[in-house]
Amino acid sequence: MKMVPLEAYLILSLLLFGLGVFGMIVRRNLVAILMSTELALNAVNVAFVGADSHLGLVDGQVFALFIIALAAVEAAVGLGIIVAIFRLRKVESSDELTDMGG
Amino acid sequence: MEVLIILFPLIAFLLIGLFGRRLGDLPSAIITVLGSALSFIFSIPALLKALNSPFSVKLYDFISLGSYTLTLGLYFDPLSAITTSLVCFISTLIFIYSIGYMENFFGQWTYKFYAYLSFFLFSMLLIVLSDNLLGMFFGWEGVGLASYLLIGYFHQQKYATNSAFEAFVMNRIGDWLFLFGIFSIFYLFGSLNLLEIFSKVKEIDPNLLGLAVLLLFGGAVGKSGQVPLHTWLPNAMAGPTPVSALLHSSTMVAAGVYMVARLYPVFESAPQGLKVVALIGGFTALFASLAATSHTDIKKIIAFSTMSQLGLMFLALGIGDKSSAMFHLTTHAFFKALLFLSAGSIIHAFHHHVRDIYGVGGLKKHMPITYATFFVGALALAGIFPFAGFWSKDLIIASSYDSSFGLGVFVSFVSFLTAYYIFREGFVMFYGPERHKGHFEEEPHEAPSVMLVPMVVLAIGSAVAGFFEGWYMSALKDHKEIHLNIAISSVAIALLGIGLAYLVFVKRVLDPEKLYQSLKPVHTTFREQFFTERLYHKGLARGYMELSRGLFLVGDRFLIDGFINLLNFLYFRVVKFLWIKLDIYTVDLFVNGVARFSFRFGRKASLIQTGLLNNYVAFLLFGLVVLLGIIIYFMG
Amino acid sequence: MMQWVAFLFFASMTLLSALGVVLLPNIIYVILSLLSTLVMVAGIFFVAGAELVGALQLLIYAVAIAVFYVLVLTAVPWEKALKKDSHYRVEGVLTFPILLAFYLEIILVFLLGISVSPKGQIREFIQNLGNTQVVGSILFSKYFFAFELVSLVLLVGMIGAVIVGRREDKTYEDGSP
Repeated sequence: MKMVPLEAYLILSLLLFGLGVFGMIVRRNLVAILMSTELALNAVNVAFVGADSHLGLVDGQVFALFIIALAAVEAAVGLGIIVAIFRLRKVESSDELTDMGG
Repeated sequence: MEVLIILFPLIAFLLIGLFGRRLGDLPSAIITVLGSALSFIFSIPALLKALNSPFSVKLYDFISLGSYTLTLGLYFDPLSAITTSLVCFISTLIFIYSIGYMENFFGQWTYKFYAYLSFFLFSMLLIVLSDNLLGMFFGWEGVGLASYLLIGYFHQQKYATNSAFEAFVMNRIGDWLFLFGIFSIFYLFGSLNLLEIFSKVKEIDPNLLGLAVLLLFGGAVGKSGQVPLHTWLPNAMAGPTPVSALLHSSTMVAAGVYMVARLYPVFESAPQGLKVVALIGGFTALFASLAATSHTDIKKIIAFSTMSQLGLMFLALGIGDKSSAMFHLTTHAFFKALLFLSAGSIIHAFHHHVRDIYGVGGLKKHMPITYATFFVGALALAGIFPFAGFWSKDLIIASSYDSSFGLGVFVSFVSFLTAYYIFREGFVMFYGPERHKGHFEEEPHEAPSVMLVPMVVLAIGSAVAGFFEGWYMSALKDHKEIHLNIAISSVAIALLGIGLAYLVFVKRVLDPEKLYQSLKPVHTTFREQFFTERLYHKGLARGYMELSRGLFLVGDRFLIDGFINLLNFLYFRVVKFLWIKLDIYTVDLFVNGVARFSFRFGRKASLIQTGLLNNYVAFLLFGLVVLLGIIIYFMG
Repeated sequence: MMQWVAFLFFASMTLLSALGVVLLPNIIYVILSLLSTLVMVAGIFFVAGAELVGALQLLIYAVAIAVFYVLVLTAVPWEKALKKDSHYRVEGVLTFPILLAFYLEIILVFLLGISVSPKGQIREFIQNLGNTQVVGSILFSKYFFAFELVSLVLLVGMIGAVIVGRREDKTYEDGSP
């Protein structure tokens, strides 16, 4: 059985992460931004697991576990915030939420 | 002991000067009289002592200058001792007289007057008695100051103050020359002490000595009112009559003559100098007599007379006859003072309102004593036997004839004029119509006795002083003979003068008015003292003022002020320019520029803070990239 | 061989789905793309031999989180939102250079990191036990403290989400709770 080379996991992870960040920059919809965040997190997980398989360790997997858990929390809180914002401002686009700008 | 002679007037001066206001006028006058009287009393024993053996009294070491010490001391020899007694005596009489004369002014701080008089006496005695040139110079200056103070005593009158200035300035010019004379003497002799000078006088080069002598004589010219420093003397009559009598006839102006006589050994060794003395003296004598014939002011005529007689004294000194000059000085003191006091009596009788001889007339019957004293004085002045003037003037005339016939004639002519003008004054004032009637209601009354007594005393002196000639001459170690022909001729000439005056002014043989008109130009020339007064006043004084003003306008206003203003202006321009350049353009520019730049940059920079979430993510990424780059750089 | 093919398949699907997440305009499509991505990533995990992680990924992510997104998206009346213009901003393409630089850096860092990290200490261990047991043994020994912390964070997050999401007053105009 041919091992998947490490570089493959890395490239995949990178591309995924890039897409995630790109989505955070590009998307207007708040929920979409949050989903891009999930994408980036997953990319990180891929990188961890890939490195893990290459090195024969399981520490990376443990870490990936933590990330998954935290990602879940973060999604919950983030969505809660979005709902609150929506209730207050009746907006769902980041364009109108420039209050912290100068 | 002898020092008291000069101390008495000094003490009187200090007392009156310091406490006069509290003492009051009359007590001040009495103190003054006492001062001079005591000096006179104390001068007698000194005189007696000095006749046989001259002596010095050392007073005070003034300043020690290493090789030479300036001292103050007194020297009593026959010359100085007799003159001292004379001065004190005359002063005492005049001081007594002045109590009556100035009585109108009592209550108006007249103690000042007496303070000045005492000061004058002190200075005069210093001149006479000092044993060195320094002390003499102190006194010289002192009498000049006293003269200024006293001439200008009626200081509300502009004429008086101007005259005081004139007197002081001319005196100063003389003093300046005198001072240079003293410097030369010191340079030549190495000492200022009279005795030392006398001892060394033969060793000095006559030419240098001649120069020194001329300078010293310059001082005498100023002090005695000889030409060319003469215009102050007639104007000095602005002062009160006692001042005129004391200072400007018998004592102060005589100081010039005295100084020449005192320093006679020096003068004798410089024969050229003596020639100058004679020249100036003679010229002044004629000049003043001519002026006296044309003036009508009561006191001025007498003042010109003083000037003329002093001229004669200098003439005598110049031709080598010191003792005649000094004797004439002595007799002149008596009758000139007397004449002034008589004139003062008239002025006082009219309450100081009269000045001109043609303002009064026919006073003979109103003021008999004054009339008598005046004519005694006039006779003495004219040189009529047996009055004092005859004896002294006769000596001078004799010496002149000895020197040269022409000179003798000259002096005789002057005496002719003298007799004429003084009797002119006497006749006009005491005879003739009472011209004062229109102006004064009350009758002129005779002077109070406090004034009359001194006048009478002086009259007696003028009468008998001449008989002391023999004694005087022997005291001065000289011997004079009487030349009978000269004596007779001089009296005759004088009588001619008197006769002329009598004819013109009393008998009206020739009408003085018509004479006056026809001889107007001559008259005016004499009167204006050959225009010297005008020359000095308008030419020199005014010219100097204009020069000063011109210099001020040009130099000060135009140049200096203009320069300063220009500097000021430029300075402000420069400062403003610099301020603009440096401050506004550079500093402000920089500072403001920094501020503006910060603002603009800040505004531009704040655009980064969009508040947009997406943008912030992008920045995060960017920052992350930069950080990683740095890490890689440092790891690699 | 099989691994490699499986990996390629999963990888490409992941990327495609990710592109969909980023680019698709309709938000429901975006969620579905996300779901797809999550499932494919789980596949990647399985390929790599991380069975526990993969399973948990499916359970937590693909089920719980994705469903949560769908719930929020549909339960909140988004149609009442104010209309806006486009769905994404075009100027985002300006970040491409930065992304490129980022990629390169990460590659460098990763390779460097891998070359220095310790290797194959538990390989024998894995042979005997299944993956789950191995992960569990590590988790509860070496990373126990982190495990507890994460559970604490989960707790806090839960409370926070409840508070933040709470309806404080009647904000819906139609009166629905």
